[in-house]
Amino acid sequence: MNQNNIRNFSIIAHIDHGKSTLADRILEECGALTEREIKNQVLDSMEIERERGITIKLNTATMKYKYNDEEYMLNLIDTPGHVDFSYEVSRSLASSDGAILVVDASQGIEAQTIANLYLAIENNLTIIPVINKIDLPNADVEKVKNELKELVGFSDEEIILTSAKTGIGIKELVCAIIDRVPSPKGNNASGLQALIFDSIFDSYRGVVISVRIFNGILRQGDTIKMHQSDKEYVVTELFVTTPKEEKVNSLSSGEVGHIVASIKDISTVKVGDTITSKENYEKESLPGYKPMKPMVFCGLYPIESVKFESLREALNKLKLNDASLEFSPETSNALGFGFRCGFLGLLHMDIIKERINREFGIEIITTAPSVIYEVESTNGEICEISSPSLMPDKSKTKEVREPFVKTNIFTPTDYIGPIMELCQDRRGKYISMDYIDKTRVNIHYEMPLSEIVYNFFDKLKSTTKGYASFDYEFIGNRPSDLVKMDILLNGEIIDALSTIVHKDFSYNRGKAVVEQLKESIPRQLFEIPIQASIGSHIIARSTVKALRKDVLAKCYGGDVSRKKKLLEKQKAGKKKMKKIGSVELSQEAFMSVLSVDGD
Amino acid sequence: MVVIEKMIRSVYIHIPFCKNICSYCNFSKMYYNKDQVDRYLKALEKEIKSCYKNDIISTIYIGGGTPSDLGEDKLERLFKIVQMFKLDISYEFTFECNISITEEKLKILKKYGVNRLSFGIETVNDKFLNIMDRYHTRNEIRDKINTCRKLGFSNINGDLMYAFNGESLEDLRDDISFILSLNLEHISTYSLIIEEHTKLYLKKFTNCDEETDSKMYFMICDILNDNNYEHYEVSNFAKSGFRSKHNLTYWKNEKYYGFGLSASGYIDDIRYTNTGSISKYVDGFYKYEIEKMNKYDKISYEMILGLRTIEGIRLDEFYKKYKIKLEEVFDIRDLILQRCLIINEKRVYIPYDKWYVMNNILEKFVR
Repeated sequence: MNQNNIRNFSIIAHIDHGKSTLADRILEECGALTEREIKNQVLDSMEIERERGITIKLNTATMKYKYNDEEYMLNLIDTPGHVDFSYEVSRSLASSDGAILVVDASQGIEAQTIANLYLAIENNLTIIPVINKIDLPNADVEKVKNELKELVGFSDEEIILTSAKTGIGIKELVCAIIDRVPSPKGNNASGLQALIFDSIFDSYRGVVISVRIFNGILRQGDTIKMHQSDKEYVVTELFVTTPKEEKVNSLSSGEVGHIVASIKDISTVKVGDTITSKENYEKESLPGYKPMKPMVFCGLYPIESVKFESLREALNKLKLNDASLEFSPETSNALGFGFRCGFLGLLHMDIIKERINREFGIEIITTAPSVIYEVESTNGEICEISSPSLMPDKSKTKEVREPFVKTNIFTPTDYIGPIMELCQDRRGKYISMDYIDKTRVNIHYEMPLSEIVYNFFDKLKSTTKGYASFDYEFIGNRPSDLVKMDILLNGEIIDALSTIVHKDFSYNRGKAVVEQLKESIPRQLFEIPIQASIGSHIIARSTVKALRKDVLAKCYGGDVSRKKKLLEKQKAGKKKMKKIGSVELSQEAFMSVLSVDGD
Repeated sequence: MVVIEKMIRSVYIHIPFCKNICSYCNFSKMYYNKDQVDRYLKALEKEIKSCYKNDIISTIYIGGGTPSDLGEDKLERLFKIVQMFKLDISYEFTFECNISITEEKLKILKKYGVNRLSFGIETVNDKFLNIMDRYHTRNEIRDKINTCRKLGFSNINGDLMYAFNGESLEDLRDDISFILSLNLEHISTYSLIIEEHTKLYLKKFTNCDEETDSKMYFMICDILNDNNYEHYEVSNFAKSGFRSKHNLTYWKNEKYYGFGLSASGYIDDIRYTNTGSISKYVDGFYKYEIEKMNKYDKISYEMILGLRTIEGIRLDEFYKKYKIKLEEVFDIRDLILQRCLIINEKRVYIPYDKWYVMNNILEKFVR
């Protein structure tokens, strides 16, 4: 198709502001889907995505639309909405020429709205502001309009009002996409430059690469070459998604489509990399490639040790589809054989854990999440530590550095006090506060990432009754006075419970952790002493009392089946526990080491 | 051998009617209603006729509900039905009674061969009687037991309940002394469990704390052992020669008939529970839940029931029944190392000091 009639766009929004429903409506307006085909949120194809209402893997849709007697090709490039996947978001935005910024008419601008908007602006996209859900009874269109005008400088005329639920404003929006989003400006005669913005693994076809062609033409049968991985493959199939797959013979400049080339290893396909072809070679890469680096680490251990190999297999399968997932075998004296896994962020970690459990049926225990620490030893060597148990002795280290982030916390002004208290408790350093309007602010703190990796978000939500939203960006490694805190059960160090804590906070932390463990370790057949130590120094202690007598119920009418059922229930309750020596520990116990305030 | 295995020797009959509903009771019960009782007894008779295969019965247990709340004519009618069973010469026939049972009714019981009575005494502390919606005095109990003795009942059980919120060790000691003064042959003790759908649950009543509960358990053990009651099963104490034969049927994983509303039974390879709906029951739809036992289910039951007793499980009998060794079915090494289980050449059992945490040991034997 003539590039002048192509429009490539994305939709960006804070979670739950109606991005996916809006996408469905646009598909419907363009006749890509009949109403019957719309199984709520067509583009979110994974079960977990649908359940959580978020998009993890990217999807695209190519639509045809007649406007002013001309036919246009609209390519919707879907973006994952979460901060963990911001690099992937930035690449799909780089593949677009415009972005629809969706804001919920009742919620207003939130942290991710801003984060995504900045990414879009960085990529020079034309922004179409949309206020969605205007049909809601508590919609406050004027207020949100003002936020958009104040914060981003949009004018009244630019803002489109929609309700993806009732269909109001959708036609106007589609017209605005054609009118406002610039057409691609590629050159079909130049060498091929295609930007990889996503890839998935398909067990029949191998890796399927999603690309935006910037310059040149890609044809079926061409030999493609990736700049970063320097690998070559022959294209066996090209297709676009409408959202049904439709085969095409070629993809030209400005178009968006998918490549199949018998690629077995997804790690050779790097998001952000540029594809060129032997037939149509171009030595220059497109700008913006960054290797993806995991930020959050934790140990994954099968509850039943015989499931170790199954877990390896599951992780391998997940990695096929997820190049950012890292894992390597790890041994814990407490938990046995498992894997240390690296994730882009907390949501990424949660999703992988859930998929292992749900799709592969493996029950796992995860150790408390940690970050990568940079340790400089006295002899000047620098190493990266992703597991607290590997932290070298204090006497051998010169300096320990940890990753810091800058926060965007969007909140009604009523909660400024409690939020600042929360951030201070987590070693946050106040930077500034921007007023969005009279009632809402964006608070910036610099905080160690390690303080965020556990329940900070939950805490923030509960402190603000759910009104605050949160986002962060990595700002670099900084030195901190950190020590390793061990936990001893029955006098033995449980390596999987070790954490790295700031020295000034260690006593309080130790006390909170042993108290928390006392609550979360189920009573056992014996008394169990719990201790927290730094080096050989015990800083806190507590005891789990021996088990209480359980049900010695009257045998109701000879109903011994009932007794068995009670025992089964009791046993099922312990199924998710891991046995360490003679002590049974639940997932809760492993997480409690990160709880600072004992709730 | 085979014949004995097939033979059913125990019968449980449930009478769901009560004139007073106790606040802790989670069992199938309903207020006494004359017409309903007639229909119920008729359905009961039909159920027994359709199942009972003329086995020689050694133990009968009539429980409730409050069977002693039946009027005299209804009691007669019930016993006529029970007369269907062919009894072994040394049978045990237990009847659950409320203290309010009249001398006339006791005479009827005697006439029809009841030879063991079980009284729900629970406590004699007014504060807790009130909470439980039970009303009897020490004198009433003492008089009633005397009447029973006079009529020739020589095997009487009393239930004792403890661990009420607010109950002190002294309160419990007082209850125990009173029960001891009655010189009963058998005492059953239960730590209060607040079951869903009971008045106590709805009123958000709670147990005493765990520390106290544990002290109470050990106090009961000490006092009753000192007074020559043998703690032969985790909830049960008996004077020499007065263990409950009927309950031992359960603990030995033997078969038994269960008749009546929501009663459970174990026949052939099936454990069943009857419906709890009186309307379905009187219409003849008896069975509600059925669990078919394979060999390993049976073994599982054998363990969780047998280990409740002081003797535990005899290994030679275990092998004879299941043709497999215990160690081949369960990994019990840890339990043995932790002294939670003792196994010698004759039998396997839970040592007495670990009875208090028994459920956590038994749990290893459910699959």
